[in-house]
Parts: sequence; C-alpha cells; structure tokens
Amino acid sequence: MGEGSNSPLPLGEGLGVRASTLMQTSNNYNRNRYRLGIWFTAPAVIVLLIVLAYPIIASLVLSFLKVRFGGDGLTFAWHGITNYSELFTNQLFREALFRSAYFTVLEVAAVIFLALSVALMLNHPLGRSAFYRVVLLVPWALSPVANAVLWKWIYNANYGILNQSLIGLGIIQENIIWLGTPWLALNMILIADVWKAVPFIALLMLAGLQNIPSYLYKAARLDGANAWQQFVHVTLPGLKTTLVISVVLQSIWALKVFDLIYVLTKGSPADSTVLLNYLSWRETFSNLDVGYGAAIANILFILMFMLALVYIRALRPRQTTQRDG
Amino acid sequence: MNTNRNVRLSRRDFLKLAGVGTAGLALSNYLAACAPAGSNTLNVLVPAAPDPAPPGVGQFSLDAFEQWKKDNGFEVAYEAPPWPQLHDKMAANFAAGQYVHDIIYMSGWVPEFADYLIDFTNDLPADLVADLPASSFSTLTWGGKRLGVIFTLSLLTMFYNTELLEGIGVKEAPKTWDELKGVAKELTGGGKYGWVLNYGAPEGIGGVASYWMCFLQQAGGKLYGDNGMPAFNNSAGVDSLQFMVDLMEFTDPGSLSYVGINDATNVFSAGQAAMMMNWPFMWKPANDPASSKVVGKVGSAILPAGPAGSASIDGTDAYTITKLSPNPEGARKLIEFYLDKEVQKRQVIDTGWLPIRLSVLNDPEVQAAAPNAVTVLEQAQHPYDSYVTPDYNAVTTAIGVEIQKALAGTQSAQDAITTASDLVTEIVKKRG
Repeated sequence: MGEGSNSPLPLGEGLGVRASTLMQTSNNYNRNRYRLGIWFTAPAVIVLLIVLAYPIIASLVLSFLKVRFGGDGLTFAWHGITNYSELFTNQLFREALFRSAYFTVLEVAAVIFLALSVALMLNHPLGRSAFYRVVLLVPWALSPVANAVLWKWIYNANYGILNQSLIGLGIIQENIIWLGTPWLALNMILIADVWKAVPFIALLMLAGLQNIPSYLYKAARLDGANAWQQFVHVTLPGLKTTLVISVVLQSIWALKVFDLIYVLTKGSPADSTVLLNYLSWRETFSNLDVGYGAAIANILFILMFMLALVYIRALRPRQTTQRDG
Repeated sequence: MNTNRNVRLSRRDFLKLAGVGTAGLALSNYLAACAPAGSNTLNVLVPAAPDPAPPGVGQFSLDAFEQWKKDNGFEVAYEAPPWPQLHDKMAANFAAGQYVHDIIYMSGWVPEFADYLIDFTNDLPADLVADLPASSFSTLTWGGKRLGVIFTLSLLTMFYNTELLEGIGVKEAPKTWDELKGVAKELTGGGKYGWVLNYGAPEGIGGVASYWMCFLQQAGGKLYGDNGMPAFNNSAGVDSLQFMVDLMEFTDPGSLSYVGINDATNVFSAGQAAMMMNWPFMWKPANDPASSKVVGKVGSAILPAGPAGSASIDGTDAYTITKLSPNPEGARKLIEFYLDKEVQKRQVIDTGWLPIRLSVLNDPEVQAAAPNAVTVLEQAQHPYDSYVTPDYNAVTTAIGVEIQKALAGTQSAQDAITTASDLVTEIVKKRG
C-alpha cells in the first residue's frame, strides 16, 4: 500500500490526494503499458520495415535510375522519369498492360463463379463430407511450379492428356497446339490459373455461406421464395463482404501471375503471353535493365495497392447509425 | 552466513532476460551466417544434371573427386539449380557485389558479366591449353581477356531416325537445305513429322533466335558487321528465315510451343519426328531404352549446308572464376581437375557430354561410346559463332519474337528480319 493511506488528512483533502495518487498511478501504469507495447511490437515493426518498406522504397528509387552492372556491383546514374516515359511509349508494355487487364477480369469472373458454385455444393447437406473439402484443397496445396509443370504435360501438343481425351471423345480430329497460338495460349494459362485459384476462394465463400443465419432462409421460404429468390435475396446479400474480399484478393493474385507463364510459355508465342509481372522480371533479370524493370514493377504495385485499399475498406467494420425514438 | 538467498524474478526481469537471450542467439546465428566460408571451401554454381555438370553433381568420377578434395585439402560446396535459373541467380549475386561463388558455370553470359570474372587461363598448364581447340576461347574472350575455359564441345549437329529415313530409301542424312526439306516432306504424315525443334522460347542459347543463327551462317550471313551494328537485314538474313518458314510445313507444329530442348527431344525419342538439331548430349538419352523408343536407330551428321555451307552455334559451356573469390588458386586447381583427361573421358562415357580436350575426343574408347563425337569434330570445321554480347538476352529476345511471328505465319520473313534489325540496332545503341 502507498504511504498516503495512513496519512491523518481531513476527509475531503484525503480523498483528493487519493484520487490524485490513483490518477498518477493509473497514468504511470498506462505509460508503462504503452512503453511495453512499443517494445513488444518493435520487432514486428522492424521486420515489416525491412521486408516491406525497404524494398518498396528501393524499387521506387531504382525506377528513376539507370542501373548498370559493374565490376563491384551495380552502378547507378540519375535517369529522371525516362524509364516511365519509355514505358508509356513502348508498345509491348501497353500490350502487356491490356493483356493483364483482360487476364485479371476474366480470371476473377471465372474464379468467383466457379468458387461460389463449389461453395454452394459443399454447403448442401450432401456435400458436407470432409472428404470433399480435402479433395478441393489439392490444387491449392500444390506448389506453383508443380502446378505449372502438371499443366505443361496436360497441354503438350503431342502426348498431352487434353488432346488425347478430346480426340478419344471425337470432339477434335487432330491435335491442337494449345500453347502455340497467341490468344489461345493466354486463355489456356488462364484456365490453369483458375483451377489453382478456385479452392481457396471456394473455402472463403463456404465460410461466408455458413455465417448466413438459417432463419433468414426459413423466413424467405415462409414468404414463398423459391430457391433462386432465396439465392438472390438472402445468399448474395449475405455474401457481400466475402465476395468483395474474394474479388479484391483474386484480382491482386491474377495481376501478379508469373510461375505459369515462366514454365508454360516463357511469354511466347511472339510475346503474346507476356503480362506485366513477367515483363518486369524479363527486363530486370534477363535483360538486366534493372531501372526499367523496377518502373514496370511499380506500375503493377500501384494497381495492386489500389485494390488493397478496396480490400481494407471492405474489411472495415460498418458504422451503424443510431436513431432516436 | 546465510547461503540460501531467494532469487526473485519478476515478470519484467524474465522478459528482459528472455529478450537479451533471444537477441544474443539471433546475433550469434547472424554472425555465423555472415562469416565467410572457410578458405578451404570452394563454392561452385553449376546447372543440375542432366545439363552439363561437374563430378559431384553429375554422376561420374566420384571417387576421383573425393580423392582430389583429400589431396588438395578443399571442400567443394555445389549450388546446382535447374539451368534456366542460373542467369537470374548469378545476376542477383553479382548485383549484390558480395562474394558468393568461386567458380561459376557460364553459357554465353561471359561478355555480360565480364567485369566480375578474372582471366586465369594463362595460369593453366601449357599442355592443357594446347589440348583445347583454340576457337573454344572465342566466346569467352572479352576486352582482350580470356575469362573462362570451355569444358564440353557442344555444337549443334543433326540427329536423325535412321529407320524412318531408310523407310523412304534414304541412307544418309540430308546434306543440303533442299535435301532436308525434301526428306522432311516425305516423312511428314500419319502423325509423324519430318522435323522438330523447340521454337517456343525466343531468348538465349537454345532459343529460337540462336537456332536461326545456324541457318543465317549457313546462308553466308552474320549477325553483326565490323562496326558492331546489325548486319543481317539482307538476303542471307531473309533466306535463312524463309527456309525455317518453309520447313514449318513439315515440322511438328507443337515446336512453336516447346520452350525447352527436352520438349523437342522427347518427340524425337518417341519416334514421332524424324530429324532435329540438338546438342551432343542427346546421343546418350536417345539410346537409353528407359527413355527412348529409337534406341539403335539414331544417326548423327553435320547440319545441312545452305548456300554458304554447313554452320552451327556453340553452346559455350564454360567454367569461370569470380573476381571476389577469396581463393582463385584453389578454384583454378578445381577447374584443372574438371579438365583432367580421365575426368573428361568419364564425363562423356557416363553422361554423354563430350569432352573439350582434343586428345580425349580422339580417344577410340570415347568415339566408341559417343559415335557422334566425330560428327561434332567435323562440325567444328565449319563456322559456329554464337554472337554473344553483353546484351545477348535482349538481342535474342528481340530477334526471337519476330522469328516466332514469321514461323506462325503472321508476318513475312522480310518484315520479321527488318523489324528485328531495327530493334537490335536500338539495343546496340542503348548499350553505347
């Protein structure tokens, strides 16, 4: 106990001192808690600064430099906005930007549609076995390169299982070169990416579906709603946040697709599968134009950052408006 | 004297101690990781087998390798990623400006990384250097310095399915472009093709641009003029590409999608294509019953002659020593071991990668194990310039993409060559 508790002070004064002492103790306690909090979070903050902030800032700086390989490492010279101005006059960059947008929009639409369908099936009483969920996770659990090699074999023009199956079913008469024609190659990569992405989003959707109170469906049925009406007026509104999160996350992942392109086509045929992330890698590591590659990476970063802002906004708790009366 | 003192450890003290302990542990681990490897350890970056790899990564001369380490007091630490990852890895390491490897495998990248390499070839034993083809140093010489040593004679030559060719009454490999086209035409049909190659990747040695360089030299052309500027926008450039375009009719159409040489090799080894150009290593897997359906039916020959004769390109598989190596002497000794006659002999017999030493190439035992060695030696009598420069990847990407468009029929050979020439001119000017 503190010294003050034994002091022969008048009642009012004593209470004031006690209150003041308590306040001071409380302030000290809060200050100590705050300091301790800083110490506890400092390692995480330092790690985040090293692994996130430093590369982002370094990449930004690099994009304004001309970087050359010299005997003792990289040499740097100020290049102003030349890397960026070259970007926007470069036809390959514009094409890669367009293809990235095409790929992202189609990929996200396909993934959301398929994942929602799968989640609805898994949420059905017949689909609630754990076995289905385990099977569903297989494509997602595969390492990206293993997944890409798998699809390389499936799409092989001569002995790929896709051609063999379609010929066996009588759908096609001769082998199709799935990765040999510009738009076809891009769309085949898209399919492989969708296959890989659906499981995770489906599980997100499933979690979202299971959060919708069952009484809403009961109420809808009592009101005479059929299955479609229940889906439109109960399921979809209930999944709104999950859908937004899924769209944003999947958009970010689709924008940064790399491994499938690297393994399946290396940007071919004739650069038709070169998307922004692959172009950034090619300029940086293959052509060693580090500044130019960084500029492409930064454009990609800005696009993903904007999507991340949407994601954060979607996750923010909603403020409820209180009404009187 | 009371010796039973109570030690009271508050929660705060405990956390402080734990923090200090953790920090100490992390610091010691960090320092251990940052400490340079012992001076008796040589760090070597090479490709994983089946690409050309030294003893210890490739499965040959393992006992001799152990003995060498014991005799010389060195440990050898290999980093052996798949071949396509090598360039990125060394670029990142060099960019860091810190010592990572003593010896690095190179394939056409010597001019690009010349500033990071040392000239050690003058310190090699004279009898060893005399046993190497003088031309093998051409792709490794930059700025007047010889910055590496080739360890396998790796020129593109022709491989053909003897059974398929004999089936149409052809006893020998085609010797000219016209013969190649004629034979390919006759052998195309019924799910089989006259020709196969990996045209899917544009860049680097083994990309479509490098294959076109064979045809370019066969047509009498060259990539650069004496002034260092592109010199292929002419009849030789266009004719060579036009020949590739004409051959596409009898080429496995999947070739446009094959990004690696193994993709094309698999088609040939499955007996689905009659002819291809490939690196010498192919002899062994194509005659291995475990991976091939054409065992005993594989022939090799020099590449068919164009208007100017036969020509090829060089795979330029070389060992180099980095400038930051703390032990260049040890690194050189290890490279000498890799080039030892007996090791070179086991290299070809056990892995299929030909030796570079002329005495080993002419060894009857080697020629019996790799009958294509004679072919490669004969191919070496013709031009085989790979035109490596510091911006080789950018140049070959620019050319390769235009060639792919021509092969796919979306632009003419003339347009492809003109555009490629313009793009390469820009790249060379940018290099300065």
